[in-house]
Order: sequence, then C-alpha cells, then structure tokens
Amino acid sequence: MVEFANWLQSTPFSVALQTRTWLIALLQAIHILMIGVVFVSLLMISLRVLDRVHREEAFSTVWDRFAPWMWTGLAAMALTGLFLIIGEPVRQATATSFWLKMGLLVVAVACVLWLRRATKNQAGPDPARATRLVAGGVIAILVVIVFLGRAIAYDVEVWGSWT
Amino acid sequence: MDLKLFAEAAQSTGVAEWMRTSVKAMPFIEATHVLCVALIFGSILIVDLRMLGYPHTKRPWTRTYSELIRITWAAFAVAVITGALMFAPNAVTYVGNTAFQFKMLALAAVGVNMLIFQSVSARSVAAWDQHASAPLSVKLAGVLSILLWITVIMLGRWIGFTKGYDFTVPEDVQFEFPG
Repeated sequence: MVEFANWLQSTPFSVALQTRTWLIALLQAIHILMIGVVFVSLLMISLRVLDRVHREEAFSTVWDRFAPWMWTGLAAMALTGLFLIIGEPVRQATATSFWLKMGLLVVAVACVLWLRRATKNQAGPDPARATRLVAGGVIAILVVIVFLGRAIAYDVEVWGSWT
Repeated sequence: MDLKLFAEAAQSTGVAEWMRTSVKAMPFIEATHVLCVALIFGSILIVDLRMLGYPHTKRPWTRTYSELIRITWAAFAVAVITGALMFAPNAVTYVGNTAFQFKMLALAAVGVNMLIFQSVSARSVAAWDQHASAPLSVKLAGVLSILLWITVIMLGRWIGFTKGYDFTVPEDVQFEFPG
C-alpha cells in the first residue's frame, strides 16, 4: 500500500495538486461544507425516527426530503476526498485515523441503508427499539468520523509513533 | 483596547500555554470546531432554503426554524469556545493574518444580516410563514446568509494554510541556505 502511495505521489496529477495550496484548501473547504449537508440531513432523518422533529410528517416524507441531499453531499465528499488522497497519498495511507475513518464510513452507509429498509413502509411514530438504536448510533458514528478526519493531520500525536 | 495588546494578553494566559503544550488537545479542539461549524452550516442551510421557498411552502417556516435553531445556537456556542481555544496559543499571529481578519469580518456580516432579518423582515412572518412566497428582503437575507457562511468556512480553512506565513519578505533581506 505504501509502495502504491509512493507511486501515486509522484504522478503528475498528484504533483499538480501538491503544488497548488489554494486548490487543496478549496477542496478541504468543500469537504467541510459537505460534512454539514450530510450530517444535518442524516440528523433530521435520525431525529424523525426518534420522533423529535417533523412529527406531523410520515417517515418516508422526511426521507424523500433529506435523502437526496445526504447522497449528493456524500458523493461530493467522496470526490473531494479522492482528490485530497491523491494530493497526499503517503500521509493518508500511513495514517491509522484514515483507515478507521474509511471503515466507519462503510458501517455508517450500511446503517443508513438498514434504517431506510426498516422504516420504508412505516407511517406511525413508533419504530422498533433496534431502529431507534441504529438512528442514534449512526449519528454517533458520524461524529467519530469527523474526529478521525481531523486526526489524520495529527496521527502520531493521537495514536502514538507506532503508526 | 489595542488589538495587539489583547492578543498578547490572550497568548500569555494559562489556557493558551496548556493548548501549546498539550499534545492531544489541539486535534480534539479542532475536530470539535469543524463538527460545530458543519452543524451550523447544515442547519442554517435548511432554514435559509426554506426562506427561498425550497423545497415547498407547505410546512410553516416557523416550525422549521424552531426545530433547528437550538442545534444552530448550541453548535455556535461550542464553535466560539473551541475557536477561542485555537486562537489563544497563537493570538498574535492570528490577529495579523489576513484570512483570519476577513473571517472575523464575514462573521460580523453574518451577525448584521441576522439582526436586520430578525428586526425587520421576520416581523412580517405571519404573511409568508406557510403557503406563500416570502418577500424579496427575506429571500435576500437567506441568500446572503448562505453565501456568508460559505465564505466563513472557506476563509477558516485558508487560515490553516497561511498562519505564520502571511507576510511579505522585505526586498533587502538576504537569505543564507546551508549546503
């Protein structure tokens, strides 16, 4: 993996990104803006499952309202994230925080899909206990993902030099 | 109060010293700040888009607003605290940083926009709360709010790339590089 990262870092595209600080800053800023869109969209969906917001609306209505924003934001995050990885592949590939973040991202997407499936035909305000647990859990996972994302820049400080 | 004196005073506090020497504090504080700023932007975006009539006007704007405003203010309070904690250890550098100065200006503009909206446009909310298009002044406040928050976040990220390097080297300075 480190060998691949070293090769990627020497490609013209990666060098072009590395030498344009303003572009990295712009990509990171868009990434943060999209965190806001994805986080709050998922927060609204989860809070609806927990019966805290949009109580007068069916779950499917809330899902239809926020899911497109969530998926579009996630796609934009994936794209900007990919460019950021290409811009500094060695730092990302050798960071424990990066791999934990990717792993949790897969878990979060699985939770969202499960949430959708569990609540698809539900009109009432009382989802199962497991559904409510997943709704709360996915928000907690997103918080950890944001922390891990920031921790990539401080990997040694956070995890120690063994990384 | 002189800004430089204030920055020097902030930088010499015990909290600033703790932030400078604590290895794990800065990543944690920065991550919390990013999370809160993202929460502010996401929640404000929903309220502002509703002012523009998106996705529809069937749901009262006041209901959307009251559901989200607590999240926005809570996130804002934590963002101010974490921002102050990030500012203190390098306060003198920050106050001289152009990106930081513009970010503070953009934040002030956010506040002014919100004050004008709350004291003028929001008073007519009964007329456009539901099943009606909001007046131009409300839509303008919504667009301004979105653009200003995007600016705040862009400048905030740019600070990280300019902090400590945001100066012009005088022409008569000679550098000597080893080797």
